[in-house]
Amino acid sequence: MLAPYTGTWTRGDAIHLLWRTQSGAGIDEVDRVFSDGLDASVARLVGTRPESEEFIATESVLFQSARSSRSIAALKNWWFYRMLHTANPLAEKMVLFWHNHFATSNQKVRSARNMAGQNQLIRRHALGSFGDLLNGMARDAAMLKWLDSNANRKRQPNENFAREVMELFALGVGNYSEHDIKEAARAFSGWHLRNDEFWFNKNQHDSGTKSVFGVSGEFGGGDILRLCLAHDACPRFLAQKLLAAFVSPHPDNATTEALAASIRAHDFDMGKVMAELLRSQAFFAAGARRTLIKSPAELVLGSYRALGVRAKLPQSVQLMAELGQSLFEPPTVKGWEGGRLWINATSMLQRANFAAELLAGDRYGRVARPVRGTDYTELLLGEAGETRPPGKDPLGHIQFILSTPEYQLL
Amino acid sequence: MRTSRRTFIKNVSSAGVVSIGASAPGFLDRAALAGEGAPALAGSEGKILVLVQLAGGNDGLNTVIPVADPEYGKLRPGVGIASGAALRIDDEHALHPAMAGMKDMFDEGVLSIVQGVGYENPNRSHFRSMDIWNSARLSGELTRDGWLGRALDLHRGSSSGTTPALAIGTGNLPLALVAAKTQVPVIRDIDAFKLQPGVGDRVDRQERRAALDAHIARAAPAGSELEFLRSAAGNAFATAKKLESLTATYKPAADYPDRPLAAKLKSVAQLITADFGTRIFFVSLGGFDTHSQQEGSHRALLDELSGAIAAFHHDLAGHGLGERVLLATYSEFGRRAKENGSLGTDHGTASQMFLAGTAGKGLVGAHPSLTDLDEEGDLKHHTDFRSVYATLLDKWLGFPSAEVLGEQFPLLELV
Repeated sequence: MLAPYTGTWTRGDAIHLLWRTQSGAGIDEVDRVFSDGLDASVARLVGTRPESEEFIATESVLFQSARSSRSIAALKNWWFYRMLHTANPLAEKMVLFWHNHFATSNQKVRSARNMAGQNQLIRRHALGSFGDLLNGMARDAAMLKWLDSNANRKRQPNENFAREVMELFALGVGNYSEHDIKEAARAFSGWHLRNDEFWFNKNQHDSGTKSVFGVSGEFGGGDILRLCLAHDACPRFLAQKLLAAFVSPHPDNATTEALAASIRAHDFDMGKVMAELLRSQAFFAAGARRTLIKSPAELVLGSYRALGVRAKLPQSVQLMAELGQSLFEPPTVKGWEGGRLWINATSMLQRANFAAELLAGDRYGRVARPVRGTDYTELLLGEAGETRPPGKDPLGHIQFILSTPEYQLL
Repeated sequence: MRTSRRTFIKNVSSAGVVSIGASAPGFLDRAALAGEGAPALAGSEGKILVLVQLAGGNDGLNTVIPVADPEYGKLRPGVGIASGAALRIDDEHALHPAMAGMKDMFDEGVLSIVQGVGYENPNRSHFRSMDIWNSARLSGELTRDGWLGRALDLHRGSSSGTTPALAIGTGNLPLALVAAKTQVPVIRDIDAFKLQPGVGDRVDRQERRAALDAHIARAAPAGSELEFLRSAAGNAFATAKKLESLTATYKPAADYPDRPLAAKLKSVAQLITADFGTRIFFVSLGGFDTHSQQEGSHRALLDELSGAIAAFHHDLAGHGLGERVLLATYSEFGRRAKENGSLGTDHGTASQMFLAGTAGKGLVGAHPSLTDLDEEGDLKHHTDFRSVYATLLDKWLGFPSAEVLGEQFPLLELV
């Protein structure tokens, strides 16, 4: 179990929590989280809040438009709108986390409908049971196409899905053998797709005895997933990924083991796991602050949220793609590796240009009028004072802050 | 050939140091010093490769036409190019009539045409075959990285702050450049390399820029993410500053046609003339999936291709940079020898690759036979595309190809 945070609750803590969990916040929300305190704020973040009528109406129009046009571009707009405007931003952030974890690209799937289906599947379980999510993924149309499930036949097993379940979805490299993969592939044989739906093709299923992780049985695919979830490496693997996304690029072993134990203790209930993580000493440790390089999603959403931007959806989605994060199109089955790989000469320039265009133009939407008396250095960087921008124009101040290397961290 | 990470680091970092001058961020110096002795500061030998992907499967048989073969007219009574219209390059071969620019290049000795390029058991799916070409892996497993991406990873310097490769206008990162460690940027166009001024008047902007430069130059804890970001930002902003002055003075030494591919290659030429330090550029031209009524669309595509490549070549030659730059085209497959019933052609197999650079070798290898077709009626390859890649890696870029491609493929006389 993770040790709880015992420090004195400060505005800096509130801003840290908000940037890490929902990519930034306006000043009103910072005030509120500071006054509510840690426990109440975390409960609110991991809980489910009702969406506004406006959100429900707009979201539904965007979704229907994506469905009827079968356009992945329209689907990206829909998702971006959700991320920016939902009343449940942590859940939406977890959807992106799992999209990256179960990285599936429309470049191969080539179906906005399948990608939407997978996205909705993730959303149902984003802060729920990882076991349910894993089982859903194994039968998801986009995933079945992505990992060539129809090629996995009784006499010619295809190892693609079985390998990725172990390597990338549940265990991580080094926690299984090639033999385990071969046997698991047999267990998944016949897990096919027909008419865009999961279909257990009994004729192509190898019902013989398999031995996986030293256990033998007439295993089917569901048994393999059960064995993966029961494997010691599974909670540790998830703990590593959660820490890399929410806490630090270099978490210590003790923290990883403690979070892994929590994941097991909470039986993979990710809402409970996240609640514990977000209240932990590890999450608020001085050494963990400002150590994560913002993903394009975090950069763009955070800037919009903090500055009250009414965003132009297609331009924002395109910007994210240019910064290296094209929604529904992760570069490989390993997803976006993130961290320092988000950064190169071009993306640094693009991030600074985003700041310039956001504050001086309306390419991405207009920022709200700066609020008198707001300490934008604190709001945007989570610390007061260190970075005092030049000039008199508050918009110029904000542009400067957004252009700094510090702002690329959260 | 034994080269090395060291040579690559030298090449990249020397270009970087030269271009950035006094404001070179610390990591570049370190990258250079990671080589041996003093870094080579001048006269970088860095050769540049420009890859042009022809997406959709270019009809190679109507691109380089075996005009003397009577079988050609029999296979293609509808979509065949009349031998009188085709642009003869020797007694047996002619280029498509829309390729006047490349025909001139062939005559000048600055074009190679590698014929009959393909691979064993060709796959006729666009996606799969393009994956095979881009990953240079024939196995059925899901591909995770590209051949150039692997080369970049094996030869990367100590930081990803430089830009060793760049894709222009492709939207997504092409698989050929996907790497485990090296993040290759994709840019819309060259304007993305300029720092936008933003809020305020000229004085405000200058003050902010100066404050930002000073801010970035401050020390940060060693090994921290902040130190990494300050290095990357220092590199980016300094490079942008250099480009701002250089691109203002850039004058193309050739007339580029007003077409998208030409605009992309013009940006590449602009970056090369600015000594940007990038050694691998990637651009793409799509629309080659000519299943029906192909005459007009294929003509337009080849016109765009030929005009762009010719302008690019003459531009670089005019800047005295021709010898440093090699452009190569590829497509996921050629098209079926026999035309289909709708005046188009279906997915096929072997095709040609064009290499444009100062050391042209003319026609390399024989045109695939039109009478000895495979069981599907497709052209048989005689040259594995990975031999061409190996040649580009070993003899042009200086990256040992065996590591990248998993084995040593025979090298060709191309460069």
